[in-house]
Amino acid sequence: MSTIQEQMRTRARELLTSGEVKMVVGWEKGALWYMSPPAFITDPAEVDRLVWDEFCHNNLAKYLLDYKFSDDRLAIFVKGCDARGIIRLLQDKQIEREKVYLIGINCPGLKDERQGAVLGEDKRAELPLAARCQGCRHPAPVVYDELLQDEGTAAKGEVAATAEDRFTATAEVEAMSPDERYAFWTNHYDRCLRCYACRNVCPACNCRECIFDRSQSGWCGKQMNRSENMFFAITRAMHVAGRCIECGECERVCPEGIPIMTLNNKIIKEINTLFGDYEAGLDPEAMPPLGKYKLDDPEEFL
Amino acid sequence: MANAEQVNPLVPQIGKIIKIVEETPDIKTFHVTTDKGKPFTPMPGQLAMFSLLDVGEAMFSITSQGPEHLELAIKKVGMLTDALHEVEVGQAVGIRGPYGNGFPLEMMKGKDLLFIGGGIGLAPVRSLINYTIEHREDYGRLWIIYGARSPADLCFKDDLFKNWPKVKDCRVDVTVDKGDADWKGHEGFVPAFVEKLGPKPEGMVAITCGPPIMIKFVLQSLEKLGFKDEQIVTTLEMRMKCGIGKCGRCNLGSAYVCLDGPVFTLAQLKQMPDEY
Amino acid sequence: MLKISKDQIGELLNIWAKGAKVFVPQENGGTSQFKAWEGQGKLTLGEGNALEPPKDLFFPRTETMYRYRVRDPEASLEELAPLEEKRVLVGVRSCDARSFAIMDDVFLTKGYIDEFYRQRRENTAVVALACTTAQPTCFCTSFGIDPGRAEGVDLQMWPLADSYLLEAITPAGKDLLEQAAALLTEAADEKVPAAAQPSLTADVGGVTEKLQQMFEHPYWEAVSRKCIGCGACTYLCPTCHCFDIQSENRGDSGYKFRCWDSCMFSEYTRMAGGHQPRPSKKERLRNRFLHKLQYFPERYGKFACVGCGRCLDRCPVSMDITRVVREVKEVTL
Repeated sequence: MSTIQEQMRTRARELLTSGEVKMVVGWEKGALWYMSPPAFITDPAEVDRLVWDEFCHNNLAKYLLDYKFSDDRLAIFVKGCDARGIIRLLQDKQIEREKVYLIGINCPGLKDERQGAVLGEDKRAELPLAARCQGCRHPAPVVYDELLQDEGTAAKGEVAATAEDRFTATAEVEAMSPDERYAFWTNHYDRCLRCYACRNVCPACNCRECIFDRSQSGWCGKQMNRSENMFFAITRAMHVAGRCIECGECERVCPEGIPIMTLNNKIIKEINTLFGDYEAGLDPEAMPPLGKYKLDDPEEFL
Repeated sequence: MANAEQVNPLVPQIGKIIKIVEETPDIKTFHVTTDKGKPFTPMPGQLAMFSLLDVGEAMFSITSQGPEHLELAIKKVGMLTDALHEVEVGQAVGIRGPYGNGFPLEMMKGKDLLFIGGGIGLAPVRSLINYTIEHREDYGRLWIIYGARSPADLCFKDDLFKNWPKVKDCRVDVTVDKGDADWKGHEGFVPAFVEKLGPKPEGMVAITCGPPIMIKFVLQSLEKLGFKDEQIVTTLEMRMKCGIGKCGRCNLGSAYVCLDGPVFTLAQLKQMPDEY
Repeated sequence: MLKISKDQIGELLNIWAKGAKVFVPQENGGTSQFKAWEGQGKLTLGEGNALEPPKDLFFPRTETMYRYRVRDPEASLEELAPLEEKRVLVGVRSCDARSFAIMDDVFLTKGYIDEFYRQRRENTAVVALACTTAQPTCFCTSFGIDPGRAEGVDLQMWPLADSYLLEAITPAGKDLLEQAAALLTEAADEKVPAAAQPSLTADVGGVTEKLQQMFEHPYWEAVSRKCIGCGACTYLCPTCHCFDIQSENRGDSGYKFRCWDSCMFSEYTRMAGGHQPRPSKKERLRNRFLHKLQYFPERYGKFACVGCGRCLDRCPVSMDITRVVREVKEVTL
């Protein structure tokens, strides 16, 4: 059986040549061996740029928003988390299912690129699983039009955490005293550059116009200081509450290494406690808990 | 260059609004002075950073000046200008400048001048019209073609209908997109009006300012009439913050509109990226 | 040449801290940042460059410009006292040292002097630290920068196994060495170590001229597709200097501040009334690369890139300016 990467290239070539799709969105090699950024292929002659390796981190679902107003049909490769991003965007009516062709990949779990930079290529085989993959419960795509077949069991990989694993870091912060917790979060968010990489990469952040792009609205000052950074941090987290698909891209792309998923997971945990277990981006029919109203919703906070 | 008294070019002087003229339902002209008199003495086409300290600061063209004051004609389009339209005479304001290159007075000397304005776009052009009227002997004939959406939207009506037509060798033609019951003048868009009037390019410089879409079509009309790129001058508007060529956002290629503009000839604009 | 044992670097910083505020790369939440030296802290002088460039010390993320009181219709304005704090900036790499010259062009030339920048810049002594190993994302040598010796600094340091060599470049640097005379010994046998050799390169010769013909090229559409439009590259860039100016009110008083801004954001060029000269990421990304490689060289005669590699290192999609340079040179017009 051919490798996932070979299948990717073959299918991309076929889809582009037949005209079924205008563009294929996948990954390619970047400047360095530990980088596999997104690639956008429109020419069948360029499909060999596509790669599948342990650094294909970027959640590609979000890019569909860039082509929302295009009539062209696209194909994109979806790992477990990309597929959850697709469901998320479908639920928010941001994309049309028939305009995208989904090629599923069973994800074995990806490797920590920052460690790659530190340890060097000699240690490629020893790189740890990326933080974003350590709590993954759905490495297999939940939606696809076709699934690339992996070789034997190799791709089963190390992922698929238990329900509780993903809350380990959150539990550590919960165990802190209020003062320690304040110091923890302020120390991290004092570094926040307000570059909005976390927001822009997030498949749940799909407002056409974000309040943080409208500083005149007066909701959040543009000052990069503790109070405004915290307002940003909390607002962003609450805006994706109940819709976070736990892909961990926000934390991975944060240039300052802020543990954003620890905050997101805290909210997921609370929502699960209040409204019952819910995982965003799995079932297109299951309404996000904060997006529906029930007469018996808990209301202790009122 | 920076005002000698202003050590820090980013800090405004405190000024005061001494007169407000309601030009149209959404345009007001503000007369501004300071305790020390006129904030600074701009050349025609130069700009001022004008602010309500607790609301915001933005760049405006200086439409005219007197010995003791500056005049800024401002259209209601956003947060700051909405707030400005609410203030009364006596309101304290911030003002800094003058910024930008202004109109190329030397290049225009001895030439006939064709001014083409649309809506609030007459504001910057008016500074030059008034300057050439004051220095009448240095310039040839003056011809002002101006248009607005409706008669009510015509700016500087006293100038258009009383002051300017009285000036020697000065012709004023006005059009509106759509007239009303009392309107006896021309109806139609500015670019077509310009073509209909058919100014001859020989010995003439055309100065135009208005909404981007009007400028675009006026430029086409002028080209059709035989004007060369060097004979066409326009003044641009961009979002600006510092006014001194440092904060970045008003660049067209390697030029900063706040510092190297806002006035460019069409010949210069064609050398620059089309990002305005 | 003088030297100091690495064990005594804390004492050296303590001595300098008596007469000035000392900023030096230190560990902070898993990253390395230029932070004020308070007598203790985990120095990160050995492991590559600081995550954030030191531009923040001359051009802070957010700074108050003046204060005001508004009680309609009156208003008054209060300027800030001049900044007189002396500073010593320690551990500046050659790439970042070059960035200071670029920032000086922006803030101190072309008719206006930015007072906020000037005061900080003039009150700061810069101590450079040579690079002997390159990070995978480094390419400073492509801009003619010598990782082994910085430009325009007051004092140059070189790391050895257990010590640092020091050489004063300016009188301010000499003064710093005199302050620390008790800790310094003459370097007899030690040699200046070999400079780092970055493996990444960008052949920038002719790229400005090529870009001058490429504003409308479809390349920008293609290269911008993967960009997510965040501001990480601009905020981590040692030469990006765009800023916004805004007000913060509390009752009838308030302050005007400026803060970093980014050409990657929609709000950056959006005008009152909604007109947007750069409506999509294609125009914004193009502006960023053209600014670095064409506009800045046209205006100031030098590239606005120093090859520090921070953008590539932290970009969510590994946007690679060396690849952009290569591709720009390869595309057909």
